[in-house]
Amino acid sequence: MIRWGMVIDLQKCIGCYACVVACKQEHFLPPEVFWSRIVVSESGEYPTVTKLLYPVQCNHCEEAICVKVCPTGASIKREDGIVVVNYDKCVGCNYCIVACPYRQRTYYADSKREYFPGQGFTELEVIGKELYPLQEGTAVKCNFCAERIDAGIRQGLKPGVDRQATPACVIACPAKAKYFGNLADPYSEPSRLIKDKKAMAFHPEFCTDPSLYYISR
Amino acid sequence: MSSRPLHEWMVNYTPQTEWVEGKGVMFCLAFFSIQLGAGMFFVSSIFGILLGEFIGWLICAVLGGGLHLLHLGHPMRFYRMVLRPKTSWVSRGLLFVVAFLIVGGLQMVFSSRGISSLALLVVANILAFLTVIYGGFAMNCISGIPFWNTALLPVLYAVAGFWGGAGLSMAVLLNNGVSAGALPGVGEFSRGLLFVFLFILPTYLIAARYGLPAGKASVNEMVRGRLWLLFWIVVVSLGLVLPIGVVIYSLVVGLEETPFILLYLSITFELLGDLFLRYLILKNGFYNPLVPAPAFYISGKNAGTS
Repeated sequence: MIRWGMVIDLQKCIGCYACVVACKQEHFLPPEVFWSRIVVSESGEYPTVTKLLYPVQCNHCEEAICVKVCPTGASIKREDGIVVVNYDKCVGCNYCIVACPYRQRTYYADSKREYFPGQGFTELEVIGKELYPLQEGTAVKCNFCAERIDAGIRQGLKPGVDRQATPACVIACPAKAKYFGNLADPYSEPSRLIKDKKAMAFHPEFCTDPSLYYISR
Repeated sequence: MSSRPLHEWMVNYTPQTEWVEGKGVMFCLAFFSIQLGAGMFFVSSIFGILLGEFIGWLICAVLGGGLHLLHLGHPMRFYRMVLRPKTSWVSRGLLFVVAFLIVGGLQMVFSSRGISSLALLVVANILAFLTVIYGGFAMNCISGIPFWNTALLPVLYAVAGFWGGAGLSMAVLLNNGVSAGALPGVGEFSRGLLFVFLFILPTYLIAARYGLPAGKASVNEMVRGRLWLLFWIVVVSLGLVLPIGVVIYSLVVGLEETPFILLYLSITFELLGDLFLRYLILKNGFYNPLVPAPAFYISGKNAGTS
């Protein structure tokens, strides 16, 4: 059985945004659409302030609320645990976006919006619309680079171990703060980290059983 | 996009925007129209006001349905929205609305031809009732927004829908020359619902305020935030106090002596108050901060909640 998941070590994250940029590049994401974010918080008062960095993305919950509330069946949970959106079925009602308690979905409103307004699309944007066409008027979100994982598995590679089969944000991290693997395998690196480092998911009270865990300092 | 500073996104209480800003305003209006229309049909059919049934049906179908379609990113795919009634309240709602429009339409046609069908009337009213209540449940099941995630919200919306429907039914009768004193029970029904609403609204707000912190933040923003004027003037003063004043006046002098203009004003402002209440509930639906309190970051304790 496979349940793809991720562990993020908050001790190692330096807030460089490499994961955010890598995700943007990998999926040719348009302006204002982010599948991976760094949420920056702080604690303490001047002069003793600590900056707190939280890389966040879709948690690919085992009990995904977005899948339950979707009226068309566009949001589905694959057998390997990845939650994806079928853009051809999505009707753009925004119910999944509002229902997600982690706010990790985005409504793709305007396909004509350019990164450099008034200057036309860049070559990258043009290529992106052909290679990775998102549909305007649908909900979009992180998919754990499912295309990389599927392609890698077809080639006999191991996601989380082999770079070509691992999500872009994981391999882009210079601090190696992200670990990707099969949470259903108790001996996989993420599973061992969750057990040894007592990693925890955000907001367990939502009873969504996320597949994204965090190691605190 | 919310007007809050971006750096506060999910660090502080973050409002939802998809169902209330930009195109989302149509969603707010659609929910209001559908529940008002179905409520009007329900009340009118009970009191035998055929024109009221028709107007309610039209409000639901044209205004409510049309606005819902305009809100969608791909309106031509709307037929797909009935595919998940087992888990999705939007799916169930669309089924209720479509069934209500069909059965309600048939019931009106039969009534207009003098054909009485109790079974059809009962089914139409059940479907109208379900149409009125489904919106509250669609919002209530969103656990990420504590202000909505309460059993009182569907009750509040249902009472508001029926109250608005009763008011509009009254307006139809008054417009048709029925004197205020001869309103066949719909006036008392409307008054009763007003007092129920008067009890439920503060109960809902108080319960939310003493619930989770995000709920408290929602209530505080609603009654003391940027839009406090909307709440206190439109929702409370015009939408509640004025109708109560008219009711008390009509009880003192008698409904026959109550000027029509007062009754029309009361109905208009109660609808306006209902609409803006729904807008404010959508506008002030805050999510809990995504990130935990600093203690989690340091020690791993108190994880998950802030």
